[in-house]
Amino acid sequence: MAKLLRILGAVLLVPGLMALCSALQVGPASWFTDEKSFWGMPICLFVFWIGLAHAGTLLSAVFLALGVRLDRRTALLAELSTLCSLSLAVVFPLVHLGVIENFYMVAPFVDSRGIFANAGSPLVWDFCCIAVYGLLSFLFFHNHLSSRNVPAQEIIRKPFAWLLLPLVLWVHSVVSLDFAATFVPEWQGAFFPVYFVVGAVYSGLALVNCLLCAEGYRVRLLEKLMIFSSWFIGVIWGWDYLTKGVFFTWAFVFAGLLPQLLWVGAVRDSRVGRLLVGLSVLLGLFLERLYLVSPSMSELPSLGLVDLGLVSFSAGFFLLFYFGLRRFVGCFVDEGGTFFGDVDGSEMEEDLSATEPAEGDEKYVNPFSSREFRTIRLPLLLGILAMLLFTVWCLNVPDTDLTLVNMLPLTYPVLALVAGISLWVSSGVLREISRRVLLVVVMFCVLFGVLAGIFFVGYPSEESGRQIRSLSLTERENNSEKEKNTERDIGLSSSALLWNARCSSCHGSDGKLNEKFVREYYPVPNTLTLSRLDSLGEDSLYQVISRGRTNMNSYEGRLTEKEIRGLVRYMRFLAGEE
Amino acid sequence: MGMDRRDFLKTCSLLAVGGLLFGCRKNALSEISDGLAGRIPDERLFEEEVRLALSMSRKELDLVAVPMPKALETKGEKSPNRFGMVIDMAACNGCGKCILACNRENNVPLVTEEDAARGRFMHWIEIRGGAPFMCAHCGSAPCEKVCPTGAASHTPDGLSTMMYKRCTGSRFCGANCPMQARKFNFNDAKSLGLSRQFNKEVPLRSKGVMEKCSLCLHRLQDDRLRFKTESAVAPGASAEWRGRGVKTACMEACPRKAIVFGNWLDGESPLVKAVSGRTLYAPRSLAPFDPSVLFLMEGR
Repeated sequence: MAKLLRILGAVLLVPGLMALCSALQVGPASWFTDEKSFWGMPICLFVFWIGLAHAGTLLSAVFLALGVRLDRRTALLAELSTLCSLSLAVVFPLVHLGVIENFYMVAPFVDSRGIFANAGSPLVWDFCCIAVYGLLSFLFFHNHLSSRNVPAQEIIRKPFAWLLLPLVLWVHSVVSLDFAATFVPEWQGAFFPVYFVVGAVYSGLALVNCLLCAEGYRVRLLEKLMIFSSWFIGVIWGWDYLTKGVFFTWAFVFAGLLPQLLWVGAVRDSRVGRLLVGLSVLLGLFLERLYLVSPSMSELPSLGLVDLGLVSFSAGFFLLFYFGLRRFVGCFVDEGGTFFGDVDGSEMEEDLSATEPAEGDEKYVNPFSSREFRTIRLPLLLGILAMLLFTVWCLNVPDTDLTLVNMLPLTYPVLALVAGISLWVSSGVLREISRRVLLVVVMFCVLFGVLAGIFFVGYPSEESGRQIRSLSLTERENNSEKEKNTERDIGLSSSALLWNARCSSCHGSDGKLNEKFVREYYPVPNTLTLSRLDSLGEDSLYQVISRGRTNMNSYEGRLTEKEIRGLVRYMRFLAGEE
Repeated sequence: MGMDRRDFLKTCSLLAVGGLLFGCRKNALSEISDGLAGRIPDERLFEEEVRLALSMSRKELDLVAVPMPKALETKGEKSPNRFGMVIDMAACNGCGKCILACNRENNVPLVTEEDAARGRFMHWIEIRGGAPFMCAHCGSAPCEKVCPTGAASHTPDGLSTMMYKRCTGSRFCGANCPMQARKFNFNDAKSLGLSRQFNKEVPLRSKGVMEKCSLCLHRLQDDRLRFKTESAVAPGASAEWRGRGVKTACMEACPRKAIVFGNWLDGESPLVKAVSGRTLYAPRSLAPFDPSVLFLMEGR
């Protein structure tokens, strides 16, 4: 079955990859974009897959935190599906961008000229929250796997779930703010976070149910929850209709009405029936997101080949990646196939009984003295400290929009990040990892840091000093010194040094703009041509340097008059005056 | 299913490589662009496109009365300038000369035929309700609030500006503008031979960035530089730059003087003189955002 699905995934991936390449090459013109919002299929797929990505960890973490017993195989499946969906989901915002190579500007780093990402934009919150969520989901999954071999690590699983539960809700609320924080009438409403979270849970349940169908067993609890979610989202759609008059008919049919077929015993008990209902829910929710992302669209949009190709890419990628990983991890970690639930129907009864809640045999323990709480105490404290530090830092960064309101969406992710990592480390997982692997990871981090540093600092357009050497300025200077009395001026070579120190960061050491500058800023400084310098005249150039211009800082008090005049002459030299 | 893992992986990677190669092939579009690279479109084409846009213009423009724009605060400081425009609906007859002038001034590119058929022009000005409509340079601009990179930002002089080099093309600003005043560069106009640099002072925009009316920012900057240089040469004439005498391209082109550009905070500005005693209007959906480009209606 899994092999068949892997092949199906590969088959779907081929047209998908073609569409993806064409989308990357042609850009946003290649797919359908809404007239009003300029958004289209990639954002729709992003919201859809990020919703699915919340399924596994949410289910696993919620059940664990609330004390509902879900058997390990199902939980692992769900967590794996989360990782796969998440790695798929992050592809689409990149595809969506007009200038993909500028994506790093969304990350909250101060660049070389102090320009910061707009901390008030929901996209920046998204970027950070999803990054944290992805990392912690991976750690949660890793802990789950490794605690299979080292049962001592099992202890952090429940505290980790406590951390993840609010994070999942938080992250999807932030994703909903992409829509709700705008002024588009169709996207407004305080209920949007709830709407998105319910939609995510619902689609996640449908996905997990479909995956369970592929495995050949079922979990009644998840089916019941799916029905319940369909009512819940039905209520929200009703609310949306009553307040704004927006109604997604097909989404309602596929994800609102059809799942009710689970009430029929024949459908419920047949594997195909369950699979079809699950797929119908996924289809309905996908359509709903398509409608939502394109508010000005009344009918089904005129989807082109690239749109359909991207859908095919996402489905194919997920199938191939999920079932590939499932097999790989299954082989790697466990001796038998039952780890991920390779069972036939005969074991179904046993599985069902495993999902039943345990009998109340444990005696009451004060929550604050429980073993789990004692495990999470220190990491949580570290997390709270990190959050407070972050808050204080944010409020003190000058010239950014890091106000309390703007950084509020990032507070819990910061807390969860620090607490989660320290919890994971405290489980003794590092002792299990071999020295060599650790060394490689550390080296990789250092290398990455260095590369990122080089990238952000930029590079000069020409090596400083090369100008001076190559043109043998000193010689020229000696000649000119002989010719005229240069008592009042400073030499050309010292001007060149001054230029390289003071001016080249923007104007380039050759006077032709710094590459880094051209990449990041507009308006760019003028190229120094002789005609332009002539038209401005020496005095006017002097004024520009000493008093500054639109984007140029004033150098009054930082340069002496002689130095400025020297710079002006050096500019003429750079511009090609012989 | 007699396929072992080795074969499976082999097939998968072959398929993936095949897909990638197919996607990277030289497609019809790039062949056209290769042929067109460096070709500069005729001026006549720009006129024709404006005529086409006029024939497809939207009829509705829902206006409400708004108060006169006030000084903006940036980082706690009140700026002495706030530039804006007013468009007299009574004087305007919707001839579209402003659109052409704007296109020539700001090097607005042509669009492909498919885009033109869908009404997806790059024009910074479009005719709505019989009068020119462009970005209103809102005081609390919704587009700037959601821009993730800070490419859309406000100058102290009240202009909503674009840093093209900082734009990553997320189109969030376009989604958040209630009037869709922002235009997205879907195509690489230069390589398609659709753009022409009429004006050397304004850069050509690359594919994938947002653009919109800049209120002829370059003209204001030139005037400011001229003022600075003059006041440095002869200090004491006038302490502060108020942008007097600057005209936008659309204002210059208007045969009926329906567009007036100026400084809302300067009593001597032609803008303030033109609106004295008259009610100002703004599109209903923009009115809450403190727009700087407003409308006048007949007899009021």
